[in-house]
Amino acid sequence: MNRFSTLGLYAASLGGALLIVAGLVTASGYSAWDTLVALYQGSLQGGASIGLTIDEAAPLLLVAVGSIICTQAGIFNIGQEGQLAVGAMTGAAIALYCPGPGPAVLILALLGAAAGGAAWAGIAGLLYYWRRVDVVICSLLLVFVAMQLLSFAVNRSYLLQENAVPGQVMIPESDLLPLNERLPRLGSYPGLNVGTGVFVALALTALVALALRYGRWGFRLRMLGLNPIAARRAGVRAALLGTGAVVLSGAFAGLAGGVMLTGSSYRIQDGFADNVGWEGLLVALMARNRPVLAVPVALFFGALRAGGGFLASTGVPRYLVSIVTALLVLAAVFPVAFQEARRFQRGRATARAAALEGVAS
Amino acid sequence: MNDLELIASSAVRLSLPLAFAAAGEYVAERAGTLNISVEAMMLGGAFCAVTGASITGSASLGLLAGIAAGLLVAFVHGTFSHRLAVNTYVVGLTLNVLVLGLTSFLAESAKATGHQVDVLRIPLLADVPTLGPVLFAHRWPAFLLVGIVPLVWWLVHRSRWGLEIRASGESPQSADVSGIDVNRRRRQALLVCGLLAGLGGAYLAVGEVGSFNQDMTAGRGYIVIAAVIFGGWTLRGTLAGCLLFGATDALRLALPALGYALNPQLLISAPYLLALIAMLVFAKSRQGPAALGTPFIRGIT
Amino acid sequence: MRSSSTAGAAADSAVAPAVEMQGITKGFGRVVACDRVELSVGRGEIHGLLGQNGAGKSTLMKILLGLVMPDAGRILVNGNPTAITDPLIAAKAGIAMVHQHFSLVPALRVWENVTLGERGRVDREQARRLVREVGERYGLEVDPDTKVADLSTGQRQRVEIIKCLRRDPALLILDEPTSMLTLAESRELFTVLRRAVQDEDKTIILISHKLDEIVHATDRVTIMRGGAVVARRETAQTDVRELAREMVGRELSKWTAATAVGTMDALVTPAAASSSSEGEVRLRITDAHANAPDGRPLLRGLSLEVRAGEILGLAGVEGNGQTAVGDLLSSLLELDRGSVEVCGGAVSAGRPGAMHAAGVGVVPEDRHVSGCVLDMSVAENLVLADLGQVSGRGFVSPRRLRAHAERLIGEFDIAVPSPDTPMRLLSGGNQQKVVLARELAAQPKVLVVAQPTRGLDVGAIEYLTERVYRAAENGIAVLLISTELEEILTLAHRVAVIHRGAVIGEMSRADVDVERLGLMMGGQAA
Repeated sequence: MNRFSTLGLYAASLGGALLIVAGLVTASGYSAWDTLVALYQGSLQGGASIGLTIDEAAPLLLVAVGSIICTQAGIFNIGQEGQLAVGAMTGAAIALYCPGPGPAVLILALLGAAAGGAAWAGIAGLLYYWRRVDVVICSLLLVFVAMQLLSFAVNRSYLLQENAVPGQVMIPESDLLPLNERLPRLGSYPGLNVGTGVFVALALTALVALALRYGRWGFRLRMLGLNPIAARRAGVRAALLGTGAVVLSGAFAGLAGGVMLTGSSYRIQDGFADNVGWEGLLVALMARNRPVLAVPVALFFGALRAGGGFLASTGVPRYLVSIVTALLVLAAVFPVAFQEARRFQRGRATARAAALEGVAS
Repeated sequence: MNDLELIASSAVRLSLPLAFAAAGEYVAERAGTLNISVEAMMLGGAFCAVTGASITGSASLGLLAGIAAGLLVAFVHGTFSHRLAVNTYVVGLTLNVLVLGLTSFLAESAKATGHQVDVLRIPLLADVPTLGPVLFAHRWPAFLLVGIVPLVWWLVHRSRWGLEIRASGESPQSADVSGIDVNRRRRQALLVCGLLAGLGGAYLAVGEVGSFNQDMTAGRGYIVIAAVIFGGWTLRGTLAGCLLFGATDALRLALPALGYALNPQLLISAPYLLALIAMLVFAKSRQGPAALGTPFIRGIT
Repeated sequence: MRSSSTAGAAADSAVAPAVEMQGITKGFGRVVACDRVELSVGRGEIHGLLGQNGAGKSTLMKILLGLVMPDAGRILVNGNPTAITDPLIAAKAGIAMVHQHFSLVPALRVWENVTLGERGRVDREQARRLVREVGERYGLEVDPDTKVADLSTGQRQRVEIIKCLRRDPALLILDEPTSMLTLAESRELFTVLRRAVQDEDKTIILISHKLDEIVHATDRVTIMRGGAVVARRETAQTDVRELAREMVGRELSKWTAATAVGTMDALVTPAAASSSSEGEVRLRITDAHANAPDGRPLLRGLSLEVRAGEILGLAGVEGNGQTAVGDLLSSLLELDRGSVEVCGGAVSAGRPGAMHAAGVGVVPEDRHVSGCVLDMSVAENLVLADLGQVSGRGFVSPRRLRAHAERLIGEFDIAVPSPDTPMRLLSGGNQQKVVLARELAAQPKVLVVAQPTRGLDVGAIEYLTERVYRAAENGIAVLLISTELEEILTLAHRVAVIHRGAVIGEMSRADVDVERLGLMMGGQAA
């Protein structure tokens, strides 16, 4: 019965969100059906679309898994958007300037991207470790600094800006990565083709899921997140473990940037992160901080992003995708929160009623 | 006007929308909500102000529409985070994504005509050399700040409501024991924030610019958060932060034209860097509201 | 408001007590907190309510304040039956309680705190004047413009009292008001209270376990034990010795008799006590000093020794530093001065995991807060600090985790459907068993057990008592920290009494003199 009403609540909540979207589309003079078809075509119809969906999902998944690590430790890092950008920058710098055989540089670039993201998150981590500066605010502020850092780098020819071609206007973006430093793709257009980045993401997701479930590190991390006092009693070095979690989540965001760089965009430019950092956070939230659940959620969000690109052909602004994403997130958190709040209120009401009865009798 | 006057007046102009929103954010943070959705409130305010002005044909009515938009965002945020107890950062982030998407979508679907409120020149004062044009000749809603700032100060520091707001932000458990409905006060503070941030966004749109363009607040909400932190959670400091950040923005725009080269990226990130430094400085003295960002649930200490 | 109610009952107000509680009974589940309690407090007196922890004092007062509803009985205020179903009704009847620092906001100024929770406009001048006025009238001087955060503990208490007095209540309840005060501050407080009673015709109920306080500050005293009133005295006609006897009980209580089944009788023999005092010293704390983060002293030169195979009972009234001793031995508290030695080797206090590594096992007093992780499984809770024994190369082996859990579940007779059950779903007794099993499985040299039976039913108490005794028999040095004297007298070979962060006296179980113990717990050096 209770389970049934939960399901009903979910259905109503999600249905409501979709109804709002449909209403919005119709009211703006577009056809809701055509929009849906376009989203479907862009994300699921045909191998190329499915490949695009998977490509979009890979960095989202990486960001989400990193955020899950942090949340498991009871700390909230919301600066992935910036960590991703810094990671991608580091990766681009290595890929463009580091000599050596292509595959080796590629691996180095990916590792560098992770290190870059980790370092950027490490600022928040260290300030937390030393001075107990709030991780949320700190990582949030660092996002905007990171964006300017990226902008700075791609506007300087001695840093990441593309090499000048005589007679051409310089734009703030880097050179394309050499072909042998890109993540290989499996399959070929127009059939199903995917970048290998998704396998990196899946492998790491599996690793984190295992480490959280069975690893000693994961055990301590969960203990810290669920009950910091008991964890400290059991000898967990709370500050160190927590800071480590922040840094690690940054590394995942940085790697996501690296995968985007070497797997699909092949160059870095202003606005590179493109909300992947923020949306990855939302993936983690919708997956209720379970790495394995994050896989389908990331795929779903990836499909929305891929479909969004296809929307342009119907004339519907692609911003619709952000609206759908946000409304679905709200719709997904609403039922649980609503039920909890109601249970709490009901509990208080019955306690009071019982007390009054006691006086009367 | 000489260069300095030009920069000074543009600094003031650029800090005005920030000041409205920052006064609101200040109230919300004093009550214990680190309100990230202030960006959404501003952006929503800007969009609705232009749309409202376009529909009614009156820029002043547009301002009211902007306020309504800010209040709506605040209501949703308050319901989710201080009634249903969903993590406030998640709610704020989601609302930012939602409003950015909505306004961009709608702005592209339906074009609104431009409207702008009138400039008000304070007689005599506006003719004072140097200071006059900088301080006393602005779009009329700017002068609302003259009333709003003291009012907000009075509200937070002198009224019973403000006392309860501060108690809710500092020590929700004690406030609860003293008979204060902490979450209700926090929701109300958010509504005040929504009102002022909506007005700030509306001022930006129908005051300064006269039209709406996609993502026109461009992170000003986050600058507002930085200003409150930079100001050490005092109203005076917050407004000083707004002025400073407005000035860095004005410098960024003006310097190239004047032939000076100062790194624009550094200037854009200055508010955030300054806020970070301020946080480091305040970390020891514990300047911020003690319960900032922590949800209040009865019975959990 | 007060004057009108007095006028209404003018005829009998001279004789009717300020408050009369008749036949108050309240049970929580199977535990009877108050059993047909009769309390009568006369107008213009300071009435002491004396008893150990769990005697039912707090519940009784919560009933009077409308925070808890009684199962039976009635309350008369100034001779009029009053149904106090709500704190607001209590406030209207002129009954107010001084909270223990819970209602102050440190970041706000004194006058702001005093006016917090009232209605209507904030009048700063009036509020400040009132703080000064009330302060002068009662000798509670405190600057209304200071932030509460900058006040000492004693001054904060003044603010709490001013906050209370400002509403001009007829009856004031103070619950252990001096537990955090210095001696000088306590004396001042009682001067103030006396003045309030004499000059303002207020009535005060003073809840305390400190005998000298009761003797010096009250006019009459009601003594509770086990949820019932056991004695009423005119303070002038009694002394600390008699009060101590009444508080603790003349003989070991029925609780011990009921649970000391079979084995237990044989266990508690003086012979057992003397034989074990020969063991090596396993735990030695020397001159430990420690402060809380807010500067409040927690330990003031505490020293104790526990030998292998003996149970040292650390008796004392709650809030005298027991929690700090537990925290110290869980590596959660750093020492400003003093040292801790385990098996002869110094262990650095406050370094995470150091005490555990040195062989100290701790069953903490608040087990569900800090002894276990409620959202993890029972199996996981059984290995919190000792992952090593069920894991290899960084990974926990689910098989070994399960085997380990099943072994302990069997050995300790933990009632649980499966090792994977979340800890949250277990009963209090079984949770406690899990914690104890985990700590004993690590084969500690020293076992610290804090309030092991608090909140448990008789069966679980019996089981745990026996387990702890057997641990000592197997050569473990056991430190039993408890506020339940019966628990300590049942188990301990030696008894030490902690008071204000130091051990103020020790005696072997055979020499225990209940009166002397009561005196020491009440802070009387004996």
